[in-house]
Amino acid sequence: MSARVVVAMSGGVDSSVAAALLCEQGYDVIGLAMRLAPESAEPAARRGGCCSYEDFEDARRVAEKLDFPFYVVDMRRRFERAVVDDFVSEYLAGRTPNPCARCNQRVKFDALWRRAEALGARYIATGHYARIERDPGGFARLLRARDAAKDQSYFLFSLGQAELSRTLFPVGTMTKDEVRRRARQLGLVNADKPESQEVCFVAGRGGYPAFVERWANGRGLRPGPVLDSQGRTLARHSGIHRFTIGQRHGLGVSAGAPLYVREIRSESAEVVVAERAALKSRGLLAREVSLVRPELGTGGQIDAEVKVRYRHPALPARVIVEQQGHAVVWFERPGPAVSPGQVCVFYRGEELVGGGFIERPLN
Amino acid sequence: MPIYFDYNAGAPLRPEARAALELFLEREAGNPASVHRAGQRARRMLERAREAMAELIGAAPATVVFTSGGTEANNLAILGSARARPERRRVVSSAIEHSSILAPLAWLEASGYEVIRLAPDREGRVVPEAVAASLDDKTCLLSLGLANSEVGTLQEAGALASLARCTGASFHLDAVQAVGRVGVDVAALGCDLLTISGHKLGAPAGTGALYVRAGTPISPTMLGGPQEGAMRAGTPNLCGAVALGAVAEALSRGWREESERVERLTSRLLEGLRARIFGLRLNGPEAGRVPGTLNLTFPLVAGESLLIALDLAGVEVSMGSACAAGAVEPSHVLLAMGLSPAAAQSSLRLSLGWQTTAEEVDRAVATIARLWRQVSRVEGTAAQEAEP
Repeated sequence: MSARVVVAMSGGVDSSVAAALLCEQGYDVIGLAMRLAPESAEPAARRGGCCSYEDFEDARRVAEKLDFPFYVVDMRRRFERAVVDDFVSEYLAGRTPNPCARCNQRVKFDALWRRAEALGARYIATGHYARIERDPGGFARLLRARDAAKDQSYFLFSLGQAELSRTLFPVGTMTKDEVRRRARQLGLVNADKPESQEVCFVAGRGGYPAFVERWANGRGLRPGPVLDSQGRTLARHSGIHRFTIGQRHGLGVSAGAPLYVREIRSESAEVVVAERAALKSRGLLAREVSLVRPELGTGGQIDAEVKVRYRHPALPARVIVEQQGHAVVWFERPGPAVSPGQVCVFYRGEELVGGGFIERPLN
Repeated sequence: MPIYFDYNAGAPLRPEARAALELFLEREAGNPASVHRAGQRARRMLERAREAMAELIGAAPATVVFTSGGTEANNLAILGSARARPERRRVVSSAIEHSSILAPLAWLEASGYEVIRLAPDREGRVVPEAVAASLDDKTCLLSLGLANSEVGTLQEAGALASLARCTGASFHLDAVQAVGRVGVDVAALGCDLLTISGHKLGAPAGTGALYVRAGTPISPTMLGGPQEGAMRAGTPNLCGAVALGAVAEALSRGWREESERVERLTSRLLEGLRARIFGLRLNGPEAGRVPGTLNLTFPLVAGESLLIALDLAGVEVSMGSACAAGAVEPSHVLLAMGLSPAAAQSSLRLSLGWQTTAEEVDRAVATIARLWRQVSRVEGTAAQEAEP
């Protein structure tokens, strides 16, 4: 009997083509779509966003066309606790969360995998653009996608050997154009469906700040001063959740040179702004560090290229792995603006060797 | 062939219904309201179906109103009763009813009615004392399911009927899950209104009926022509009614024998599972249930996982109610009976019916026990881990 694989289907083209490829390769494919968005989140806006009825129907049509079983599973409670609550509390603490990385870590490759395992699956597959290379001994390496513009390995840093051993990324070796072409050849309804938005559960007016305010229901908002580097108050703000490091707009400040958020002080609710050059950090401290290669254990040092935001280039740095899942990263040259809460990922060439959540910048 | 254990959602079409449909489609049928002979033929077909339906529930033919199904019949019973006696502003029901009762009740509530939804006891029985305490001379309707669709608990209709009669409230029974499984005789039950669904009996979906005792205060909710004794406007679904009539006729003859057979199979299924799954819990009473319905809490698993695993292995069961997207939600009935949300999440409904065989039951026992072990091995340990 062929190995059973559960494909996490969003209704988008990537996971649909992933499922199609696995069917062709002879796997026993089962499609699962996750109901994630909390009921109370954006009732009207959700219709168009991710997890909408239409998305599920798209996935169902693909499953019908390719003739594999498909189900919608209810992951709302898990998602709410593991991703949405974390998202809101991070913003309220003056940090900039990365819900996609959290969802991968705690929902897709954890809770959903358990569902898959309960259904007798050997593998879980997604439509992520990343590659897994296995050596004959079973050791797995996580590599960037072939399509550099689409590479999503950044969001997958938390996958260790256990997760990688049971995960398949069928479209990781294809470009987006190839995926769409393939979908058209297969006659899939969603071949030309637009990309999903960045954060699936935040829709509606006002973006992240408004979502955080609604979810927190007014509790825990931290208004305070906007300060310059000398500690002078330039303005008042209505809550630190409205800011992220490097932000330029919405500061309520006008000055000669453009000013950017340099620091968000959670305890005092102070937002410190400075000119661009002052944002550069020499390094950072990471927590919840996960390493793909076990030989990079505690006390290890590696030279790597480090990405501190999805769309930023990877910069040369030295990574020192410390105890309790911490790591210190020193950039070769004073580097980028570092946002606590975001993800930092360590690459060596094509290979993702590890990563973690940013605790704070180091100078 | 998959094993179908979801009769409470809808029964497979019976051969009597199929034969009636085929015969009907071969003939030319007119509109039962027309004067010409084609119309008269159609009218006779419709009335024969009505007579058969009436006989099944011990009623006079003129009291049977054909509808598009159980949902329409429940809507007509509730909204029609309220509209007929607008001076009575209270409706009494329970928290374990079908959505086609709960939704019209919510609508009445929003329109200013006082709606009382009684909590059942732990076995799903609506307590007559609580009903007595809720009924007053301002109550227009007592509306309850005779057999609960999710746990199968039967209500003590006779006692409730006399309570309703004392206050002048109409008594409506949703008998969708009871007809054909227990003796449903409207005189013995003492009800004024009774809902029947065709596809739960093995007739096509889109068929059903409401029994309306002569003299019951009720206004139509579908307005138009004088069809169905001016109680339900619109050209009747003649094709569906003919099939429903054929099923009713067959059930009048054979329901008791079939029901006893289904009950034996249900007991066999329950005993088989109890012997193999430690900690399995039956929701609802041991006795006083409608034959064919088992609602079971499976320890250490999410019901959703077990349901999907079973479907992949060819055993079709159900859980709670499906949302628009097709995901399942925990049963409001189980929650109202006092089960914890976690226990409700671990509960599945297995419902058997006319086509179920002993061989299927034995095969299902083995499959369910095997897959419960598979799923609980994964989820039993996960359940112990603290959520982040």
